[in-house]
Amino acid sequence: MDSLRQEKVQRFEEFVDKRLKPDLVHAIAQRDKVFEQQKIFTDLRKNIENLEKNSVTSLRTLVNIGSEVYLQAEVPDTQHIFVDVGFGFHVEFTWSEALNYIDKREEKIARQIEEYTQLIASIKAQIKLVCEGIRELLQLPAEKSLPERIF
Amino acid sequence: MDESTKKGSVTSLASLFPVEEAQRAAKRVEDTIADKQSELDRLRGFATDNNSLINLVHKLPEQLSHDIMVPFGKAAFFPGRLIHTNEFLVLLGEGYYAERTSKQTVEILQRRGKSLDSQVDSLEANIKDLEAEASFFNATASQVAEGLVEIREDYLEKDSNEGEFKSGHLQQEAPNLGNATADDGEYARMLAIMDELEKEELAAESGNHSDQNDESTGDFHDISYREHIDNKLQNSKDVHQSELLDQINNKIITADLPKKQNRKEDITDQLNFASLAVESRVKERENFVEYIDPSEKIPARSKERSVQATTASKTEVRHQTSQPSFDSRKAFTGSIIEHAENIKPTTRQQSSASSQDSGSQSSKPVSRFKMQRR
Repeated sequence: MDSLRQEKVQRFEEFVDKRLKPDLVHAIAQRDKVFEQQKIFTDLRKNIENLEKNSVTSLRTLVNIGSEVYLQAEVPDTQHIFVDVGFGFHVEFTWSEALNYIDKREEKIARQIEEYTQLIASIKAQIKLVCEGIRELLQLPAEKSLPERIF
Repeated sequence: MDESTKKGSVTSLASLFPVEEAQRAAKRVEDTIADKQSELDRLRGFATDNNSLINLVHKLPEQLSHDIMVPFGKAAFFPGRLIHTNEFLVLLGEGYYAERTSKQTVEILQRRGKSLDSQVDSLEANIKDLEAEASFFNATASQVAEGLVEIREDYLEKDSNEGEFKSGHLQQEAPNLGNATADDGEYARMLAIMDELEKEELAAESGNHSDQNDESTGDFHDISYREHIDNKLQNSKDVHQSELLDQINNKIITADLPKKQNRKEDITDQLNFASLAVESRVKERENFVEYIDPSEKIPARSKERSVQATTASKTEVRHQTSQPSFDSRKAFTGSIIEHAENIKPTTRQQSSASSQDSGSQSSKPVSRFKMQRR
């Protein structure tokens, strides 16, 4: 009986440590990536809006060609912008088209973030559930001040 | 020897390093190796990036402009072109940039590549060390698994400041010494050199007595040399043991020869007087107890195997200076001058022959041994 319970507790703990926690870490990493994307696109939108406001037609900038070595570059015509749409494809847009696309993209990114947040929450809930199960198995009193796990 | 009963202890290796711990240690070292390896890969990646960048920087000024997609943020590009293709802005670090030409940029990048290479080298050396460590741990683990025992025996260090010499100690130590330093081939070669020199001395002594017209002082000092040596010999009471000691002494010196070839004169001198001393043992025992000190130190040093010829010559100096009744210092300085003037890169095998050459070249006062062999 006792050994059976011990074994069960061990299996639950293994489930938490080897399945749920790595899942959680993975989900958080994924969400961070999406956050980064969101930042990239907000930056891009701000930049394009800036160009529009200042009605820039030609542009000179510095290009990083690797190892922090910069070279001057000239953009004769800023009307056409190539935006990354994923999977290595770049689509040629005008500014308004680009802004349109970025809006849609941002919406999608926000949705993704929401999804990942949900996922993370559910994984955390599962972890908590299993921990509670272990507590019950060990017949420990349900402490009010149970040491909170910080994720 | 009653000490033999209490000296030495036997401990099983397993009690010192349990198997699991040795294995765990090995695993830890292997993990570290894996870490270092990934860092090495990263560094190698940097190095290849750097090389391709050097090529690119080389090539860029060949044309006035290059059509490129100019990155605009991380997700967008403008069609554009590179202009001023011979003007590079290079990060020097800490937010400082320098405007450089293509050539200058290449130089900077090459220096960066060099530092990367040195980092890679040091990391490789590091990994090599760690691998050795890991193999050591693994070997220990397997030895422990086999049930190896460690036998430990204390080395009885003699107090060199004691002044009192116990022949029993020497007899006990000297064979150990021979074993400890016995690099058999070298030992045999050394003995051969000794024999040769001895023969030379004998021949010279019988033939060349007329040569020693104004070498009387040198002769005198040689006697003092002999006395010192003989005191060593007498005090050790066992002639064979002391011979061994002398030989070992010489061997220590000769072993150092490759590194200190310019000391060869010194060494041949020592060989000479040592062999002379062995050959003609004048039974004179006076109150030279303190001269035993150097000879006592020699075994300890040979254990360390890091004896330098300079220290050997230092002991010689001590022999000389501590006995003012003979005007031996003069003769010794003479020989020192001889050493300094005749620095010649020679190997051990050549040392006897070249010492003859240098003896004839030297205009300074020459020791009797040199004179005889001329």
